[in-house]
Amino acid sequence: MRTPVPHRVATTLITLVAPLVILGVAALVAVSWSDQLPDPVAVHWGTDGPDGFGSLASAIVPMLVVGALLAIGSWALAFLAGHASSTRRIAAGSSLGMSALLAVILLGSLDAQRGLTDATQAPGITTTLLVAIVAGLALGALAAVVTPGDGDQPATQPIAADAPRLTLGSTERAAWRRSAFSRTTLVVGIAAVLVVLVLTVVTRVWPLGLLALALAVLLLTMVAFDVSVDERGLVARSLLGWPTLSVPLDEVVEAGVATVHPVKDFGGWGYRLGRGGRTGIVLRGGDALEVRRTGDRVAVITVDDAATGAALLNTLADRARARR
Amino acid sequence: MLLRIDPSSAEPLFEQIGGQVRALVARGELPVGTRLPSARDLAESLDVNLHTVLRAYQELRADGVIELRRGRGAVVASAPDHGPLHEAISALVATTRRLDIPPATAVALLKEALR
Repeated sequence: MRTPVPHRVATTLITLVAPLVILGVAALVAVSWSDQLPDPVAVHWGTDGPDGFGSLASAIVPMLVVGALLAIGSWALAFLAGHASSTRRIAAGSSLGMSALLAVILLGSLDAQRGLTDATQAPGITTTLLVAIVAGLALGALAAVVTPGDGDQPATQPIAADAPRLTLGSTERAAWRRSAFSRTTLVVGIAAVLVVLVLTVVTRVWPLGLLALALAVLLLTMVAFDVSVDERGLVARSLLGWPTLSVPLDEVVEAGVATVHPVKDFGGWGYRLGRGGRTGIVLRGGDALEVRRTGDRVAVITVDDAATGAALLNTLADRARARR
Repeated sequence: MLLRIDPSSAEPLFEQIGGQVRALVARGELPVGTRLPSARDLAESLDVNLHTVLRAYQELRADGVIELRRGRGAVVASAPDHGPLHEAISALVATTRRLDIPPATAVALLKEALR
């Protein structure tokens, strides 16, 4: 029996309605300015100011279409496969964040052209880009924060009898530890930060430096994780302490070992959403600790010696359930 | 690494923890430079007193098994090659079994000899 996806109303409001309202209002405001804007308006900027021009509609429509498609896609993902709060948060954050970014770029670039008769006189959009990135990040983070969490969902069934176990005396306590590190993420991440830094200096579009900083922080949150299995359940904590993925013992349905192909299963490396709504900490290909948890959620962590971690998690979960 | 302790055992908990880390390092399962969990974290993990883990770590440091570095916590220190020791232990175990000597007797003799 499939558990229904929780918090569908909140998901729809945050991930679909709010972004569409932002995009719609931005489009209406832009249309209301049509008398004050030059025709054509500047719609594209190079390093030396505006270099692409078009009708007001050609500025509004692509923004609306891209924003709406992103919102609808994110909403569909969260509505249909958002069993885990991480899925819903990532969808809500991308959807609302992108709509804010697009709306600010549209309104900022047009606002600077109000009162002009010739769009070639339009000023640069560096400040607009900066404001748009900050607004996008802020609203994205806000959307992720206000998205409701999963709440406690204790399991009612015992762990499957054929799941791997570890022999543990009745008075024994055990803890399993492993550090997982991603060479791919480190190499690709450093390359990306360097490319953006070089671009920033070459183009002198300084807000890009902000993007380099954001990428560097993102890299630090995704490159290394400490994984532990003990009485607290499974906890995978990033180098920076965030993000953290944890599965308490009473929410473990079954732990095992799975083989992960980063690109095929998760579309890349890092803390990711995978096929079938799986939440993954993907640091390399190969063996991974896979935990099926209550509420039709699945957590995957690529870590060495996953078999021992899975066996201990099942064993400790058995014990926790016997204590209840 | 998998650490297991048994509070009902006569062996003190800090020795149980220290002994397992020693064995893991000696067998090469914890290579040089491996970061061990912080004492606080491990104490919570095993549900033991912080001082139990600190004592285990202190003794491991005294014996040169780990280094305690400020900011980085406990790190496995470089150690001499244990290969010949493993061979000697295998020989010892084989001889003990061949002569049908109880393990406790063999361990007692070994402890005495190392003293």
